[in-house]
Amino acid sequence: MTTSILDLGADRIAETGAEGDDLRLAEALRQGLECAYEELLSRFQQPVYNLALRLLGDATEAADVVQEVFLKVFRNIGSFRGHSTLKTWIYRITVNEAHNARRWFFRHRRREIELDTNPEDTRQWKEAIPDRRRSPYDVAVEREQHVMIEAALSRLNPIFREAVVLRDITGLSYEEIAEILNVSLGTVKSRILRGREALRDQLAGSLNLRPALRLVPKTAE
Amino acid sequence: MSCEKVQKQISSLLDRELPAGEREGVLAHIGSCRQCGAYWEAFAGLRAQLRGLDRPPIPEDLRARLRVMASHERERRLVRLSLSARMSHWASHARLVFDNLMRPLALPFAGGSLMALVTFSLLVPSLSSFSHNFGDQSWFKPPVPESSYVPGVVHNALIVRSDIVAPEGANAVELTIDEQGKVRDYSVVRGELTPDLQSIIMLPPPFSPATVLGLPIPSKVKVIQYQAPNRRS
Repeated sequence: MTTSILDLGADRIAETGAEGDDLRLAEALRQGLECAYEELLSRFQQPVYNLALRLLGDATEAADVVQEVFLKVFRNIGSFRGHSTLKTWIYRITVNEAHNARRWFFRHRRREIELDTNPEDTRQWKEAIPDRRRSPYDVAVEREQHVMIEAALSRLNPIFREAVVLRDITGLSYEEIAEILNVSLGTVKSRILRGREALRDQLAGSLNLRPALRLVPKTAE
Repeated sequence: MSCEKVQKQISSLLDRELPAGEREGVLAHIGSCRQCGAYWEAFAGLRAQLRGLDRPPIPEDLRARLRVMASHERERRLVRLSLSARMSHWASHARLVFDNLMRPLALPFAGGSLMALVTFSLLVPSLSSFSHNFGDQSWFKPPVPESSYVPGVVHNALIVRSDIVAPEGANAVELTIDEQGKVRDYSVVRGELTPDLQSIIMLPPPFSPATVLGLPIPSKVKVIQYQAPNRRS
């Protein structure tokens, strides 16, 4: 069993982390303590990967972004002053890196595919590779719904997708999202609203959107 | 409160980010308006679906790459911290480079050195012209020739082993017998070379060569002729 340098319990590690803990972790990273690097990876590698995966919709791209994120975190930890939490600081880097990766993709890789591949070959290649978004007939309904939501998310405007992912998947507060995206609270609210509306429009008719929490006593008619 | 305003606030209500004062009014409207209720249900269901999305575990290869990267970055940071750390880093780096350079050559180098040593140790004793003293050699006894001659009397001369000393007044010749049993050389060791001795040298009896471990070798025999004053007189 590894001992945390911050003496954090499992519950506290899962929490957002207090500023004092973040500062101590950052200071330990600056001093090059091995356990601090392990602590940082154990706390953030999974959520950063999930965030990058949801923002980009591609596992390979997400893996590249995660590496870039942690490289920047390790090299720029000296500039972390504790004005924000370590989590929001790292998530901000993740969102920016995902944005850069997406921009690079649209500028380079998409053009490379269009220029270098034969449409006939492309069709065969796409048919040969199993498409995870397309469920087989015997796949559970829940999985199909997830696939549809992931597809809708990938079609969403990246601006709105960032806000929705940070709120509904990552579970951050409006204040944290505003800090990560460097926008005002009103803008966050607006982006989340518009993102959800766009998702609802895309999924209308194909998905049974039932509420998980029924605040209003209302029966379906 | 209009439906348009309520629907704009439903998202914040869902996230519990709506002020308490507004929350009651929005909830009351949702309870009474079918359209806004459906709107609410759709948003709540969508959020539940988003929260229920799979959270795939980070791939193992990415996890390993991150650990390697963390290790490198830590080393990089330690190097910058102090001069001693920097020196030790460069020393370990130099040691690593040297090891990587020498490791492929180590086996050939060791083999070559060993072969050179063995060859040198084999060649040196045969090349040296002086006798070595390897300490106590009492245990070593050279093989003694088993037989080198046919002892007896030939032409009034006695053929004996070469280590037998000829008595005073006798004539003695030492013969060198080769591997074929023939006389190759002679030397007068005492007295003079008498005609009898000469005839022995010229027409020697059939000597059998000396042998060591069954192999014939050159050897020496001594021919002693005692003076016989009676016959001369």
